[in-house]
Amino acid sequence: MLVYPASSLLHSSFIVDMVSVFFILPILLVGLASSIYSTSYMSRDTGLNSYYTLLSAMILGMIGVVSAGDFFTFFLFWEIMSISSYALVAFRKDRWEPVEAGFKYLVMSSAGSALMLSGIAIIYGIAGTLNFAGIALATRTPTLVSDPWLILAISFLIVGFGIKAAIAPMHTWLPDAHPAAPSPISSLLSGVMIKTGVYGLLRFYILFQPLYAYWGMTLSILAFFTMFIGNLTAMLQTDVKRLLAYSSIAQIGYVTFALSIGTVQSISAGLLHVFNHAMMKGLLFMAAGALYHATGSRDISILEGIGRRMKLTGVLFSIGLLAIAGIPGLNGFISELLIIFASIRCELYLQTAILITNFLISVAYYLRLLQRIMLREPRSDLPEVEEAPASMIAGMVILATLCVAIGVYPGLLISMAELAGRAALDIGSYVAPILGG
Amino acid sequence: MLEPIILCSVALIAVALYGFYSKKHMIKMIISIEILINAANILIVTFGAYRVPGYVELLPQSLAILSISSAGGVTAVALALILAVYRVYGTVDVRKLRRLRG
Repeated sequence: MLVYPASSLLHSSFIVDMVSVFFILPILLVGLASSIYSTSYMSRDTGLNSYYTLLSAMILGMIGVVSAGDFFTFFLFWEIMSISSYALVAFRKDRWEPVEAGFKYLVMSSAGSALMLSGIAIIYGIAGTLNFAGIALATRTPTLVSDPWLILAISFLIVGFGIKAAIAPMHTWLPDAHPAAPSPISSLLSGVMIKTGVYGLLRFYILFQPLYAYWGMTLSILAFFTMFIGNLTAMLQTDVKRLLAYSSIAQIGYVTFALSIGTVQSISAGLLHVFNHAMMKGLLFMAAGALYHATGSRDISILEGIGRRMKLTGVLFSIGLLAIAGIPGLNGFISELLIIFASIRCELYLQTAILITNFLISVAYYLRLLQRIMLREPRSDLPEVEEAPASMIAGMVILATLCVAIGVYPGLLISMAELAGRAALDIGSYVAPILGG
Repeated sequence: MLEPIILCSVALIAVALYGFYSKKHMIKMIISIEILINAANILIVTFGAYRVPGYVELLPQSLAILSISSAGGVTAVALALILAVYRVYGTVDVRKLRRLRG
């Protein structure tokens, strides 16, 4: 289903179909919540004019990336998003951690963008156009399957998108950059920005019809590698935000696996998980930021039992943790269940078993974190803390309400996700504008 | 005319990747990234000009200009970060930035 443009427009630079809508919604929701949250979280900082400008530019860039209709527009918005996120990660430039993490992120991510640009150039050389629909038409000839240039171009694209989506082994920037950024930025980066890489993988996975089989296999191997690295390293973390960052890597693994199956059910389950993960991870990073704002520490052993002192933040943090652990009644459960169903329906039993193992490993560390933050007695040397300011609570409540609401009434969102899954696989209606149909 | 320029661009990609992995000076790493972006620009411009003989397409040329300007933006942010690193660490050697375990 094409939302924009009307089908008679030729050479449009924006194409918005249901897949784009499904990515734009979480970007706007998390963007709104983190802007509200920022008003009190950043109140002690200087340079707020540039902070809000960069924040808006990053949200604009992400929306542009997911609604681009050709590589020119795609690359333009990709760079807007990337450059503003480099500056935001290193926003507190007088401390060692943001500066070091920001430099690492900048070097890896801009090398990835440059390789992606080389891939775009080669694809232009093969197809003769930068328009996605035109590329889909031009690469339909089956002789292209063994073309080494196309394979080179696609590996460049996988590296470029993989670095942004933090797919292992290209994930090493994420566990440094996400904890070092200010918390509202962490929730935007982890909640939605890494999903633009997933969007790129999904879009080109489907557009390059001849390479369907190779790309599916590559993606599923990378997905399992990503899940295991994310989950096993997350168990060893002592820093709340680092633990959440590693859990983001694992979640990207689940989404990539769902996309690699390539059926309507699996792609709509993957897209639903993209939406749900944006809500849960945005909420969790904001709650961790509220604890950090109150105590000045991100160490789990210092934060033990703080949920008894900051009751409202603690409850919101628990909602996020239970949702991401996949407890029935909250939103994470639904999309994880749908991914498992889609995988079983394709008779991928071994893969499903590995996936379920990973879900169980992740439950272990989420529940341990919940037990230590919420249930233990507070440490005797815990400083006197106050409840988080109202605007921080407001930002978190928006996302927590959505977590609960989607968990209780999933019907509307599941039917939207199914439309998006159908739209993603329906090349015919995507290329219709360029054919003048 | 197409092949020599493509070879030249591939050579530039190799030079950039060599610099990226062997150099430990932060500014040299940024220069490697610039070389990588320029290799991609050369590819884009070449395909735009020589893909169909006697006909130069305009969109790839403007993509190259866009990429040059965005590379300028990336370099500006990178140099500002290197300055901040120098103020905090007192060095621009990337081996000294090892406090994060990534």
